[in-house]
Amino acid sequence: MRALVVEDDKDLNRQLVRALTDAGFAVDSASDGEEGFFLGETEPYDIVVLDIGLPKLDGLSVLEQWRRQERKMPVILLTARDRWSDKVAGMDSGADDYLAKPFHMEELLARIRAQVRRASGHAKAEIECGPLRLDTKTARVTLDGQPIKLTSHEYRLLAYLLHHNGRVVSRTELVEHLYEQDFDRDSNTIEVFIGRLRKKIPPDMIVTIRGLGYRLVPDGDAS
Amino acid sequence: MRLNSLAFRLFATTAAWAAIVLPIAGLLIYGLYRSDIVGQHDRRLLLLLTVLHSDSIDNGTDVPGAPNDIGEPLFNVSQSGWYWQIQPLEKRPGRRLVSESLADDVYPLPSSLNVAPGDDERRWANVVGPAGQQLRVVEIMHVFGQGAEAQRYSISVAGTMAEVDRSLSSFSTRLLQALTLAGLGLLLVTLFQVRFGLQPLRQIERRLADIRAGDAQRLDGAVPVEITPLQNELNALLKSNQDVVERARTQVGNLAHALKTPIAILMNEAREDKTQLAAKVVEQTSLMRDQVTHYLNRARMAANVGIVGTATDVLKVGDALARTLQRIYRDKPIEMTVDCPENLRFRGERQDLEEMLGNLMDNACKWCIGHVRLTARPLSDGKQPMLEIAVEDDGPGLTPEQLAAPVQRGRRLDETKPGSGLGHSIVADLVHASGGRFERMRSDLGGLKARIVLPMVAA
Repeated sequence: MRALVVEDDKDLNRQLVRALTDAGFAVDSASDGEEGFFLGETEPYDIVVLDIGLPKLDGLSVLEQWRRQERKMPVILLTARDRWSDKVAGMDSGADDYLAKPFHMEELLARIRAQVRRASGHAKAEIECGPLRLDTKTARVTLDGQPIKLTSHEYRLLAYLLHHNGRVVSRTELVEHLYEQDFDRDSNTIEVFIGRLRKKIPPDMIVTIRGLGYRLVPDGDAS
Repeated sequence: MRLNSLAFRLFATTAAWAAIVLPIAGLLIYGLYRSDIVGQHDRRLLLLLTVLHSDSIDNGTDVPGAPNDIGEPLFNVSQSGWYWQIQPLEKRPGRRLVSESLADDVYPLPSSLNVAPGDDERRWANVVGPAGQQLRVVEIMHVFGQGAEAQRYSISVAGTMAEVDRSLSSFSTRLLQALTLAGLGLLLVTLFQVRFGLQPLRQIERRLADIRAGDAQRLDGAVPVEITPLQNELNALLKSNQDVVERARTQVGNLAHALKTPIAILMNEAREDKTQLAAKVVEQTSLMRDQVTHYLNRARMAANVGIVGTATDVLKVGDALARTLQRIYRDKPIEMTVDCPENLRFRGERQDLEEMLGNLMDNACKWCIGHVRLTARPLSDGKQPMLEIAVEDDGPGLTPEQLAAPVQRGRRLDETKPGSGLGHSIVADLVHASGGRFERMRSDLGGLKARIVLPMVAA
């Protein structure tokens, strides 16, 4: 899952990036509206945390421009202006949620997970696929009720596949959604991680579809 | 009329002016009339003297002759106050002639009182007559005979002043009446003038009251040229007042932004740490967050007092909030109904109404099972036009004890219970500042019904 943080305050930006990284996201960050807009326009993010008061281009304008260009990723607005008129304006600009400063990081993370789930079509906080179960609230994966230990990259990959289970996910899509913008993108690493995942979950749950990508299925016998 | 008033000043000035001028005018008029009427009396006496004089010397002898009928019947009426007398002087024997009215009496002669003669040789004096009458006497000397025989006679006519005095006293009575009437009239005119003249000031006073009541934004309408600068100044003052409020509000907003980000950073930094200091920081920053929110609201509301002449469409605000909340709560199937007549307008700022309804509706959405209803109606009771807005949900609602307790203003209570979080205390603050009422009761939907009554702009 890739996330974009657009926040001009250095400390808050750092905190957000760290919290999101710890929660299993590949995070890019921008500190002004123009940079944020450019990233959101070019990269396929799964969630954007957008401050309203930004230098160069304010958050609402950034959001409106994205929506005009049919960029549909979920966006959570972050602002010190917590008046209802601001909320109405923010939601009318195309935001999916709105969080007033000061906020608890746990609350932001909960809302981020909720938005990510919703965007991939899951209504419940827990995503299941066969014996696999992802609790988006705690970012824990269990197999038949037993927690599995995953590295952060393995978690990202499995979580993405779980969010989009049943659908064929291309290697490019995985690369785009699992790594930060400045990461050295070698699609071979995906194969390495798929290999490692197959050792931790029933191997035939991840089906390789040659030339297209991978698909996560509930049981091994589907092809 | 109070002592320290323009009306009193104008009135007192006119009264003082009348008190000085009217008596002086009265004295002048009285003096003129008196000299005129005394002059008339004198001319009559002079005429009678001339007739008497020429009659008495026109007989060819060296002694005065008895005059013919002088043409004044009163000379023949005893003690009528009208007399004449021809009397030899210098103690030498001679003929003394008197009018019948005088008979054996005498009256003092001006010459015996050492009155000097005037340019025309006549002497005038006011004396007391035989019956105690005030007499005006005119006297002329005439020498009868030649050489050693020559004898000086005094020829005099006396007329009572009674008629003159009567006339003067009746004139002065009428004069006094006339002047009193004039004085009263003057005061009445002044009263009217003061009221009429100060009318534009009263008008301005009424319009200022309208502005305070929120019916107008500035002073408009034609006023006299003298008042125009005052009106312009007041308008400029109102404008600058509004600007100051606007600036204050902007700065309050800036302060909010400036404080909230650092608080957020502190809060999040401390929550990742498990030391005692961090726990303290978490506790205190939460407190700071609530205090900042509370006092920013208070400051903003204080800035709102005095903002006048604003009206907010209730339906528009309700619709916008319903739309926003449906997006925020889109995971939850909420049937949201907004039942509000068009053109229902709240007397106050849009932001305030948004804040009140936003918090109530947010609360309702948070606790409802699937139904939130907003109903707005004009209220017909009371002197002031008011409107009521009810926000209801089908959630768990409040216990009877909670419903009975007053809403705590500006305090965050147990947020796990509906309607006891900061939301309702903000609503209570705002409703209070707008001059309205806030009540909570059981809804027939099953949950909480929050009802606010607010001032309305009469349609």
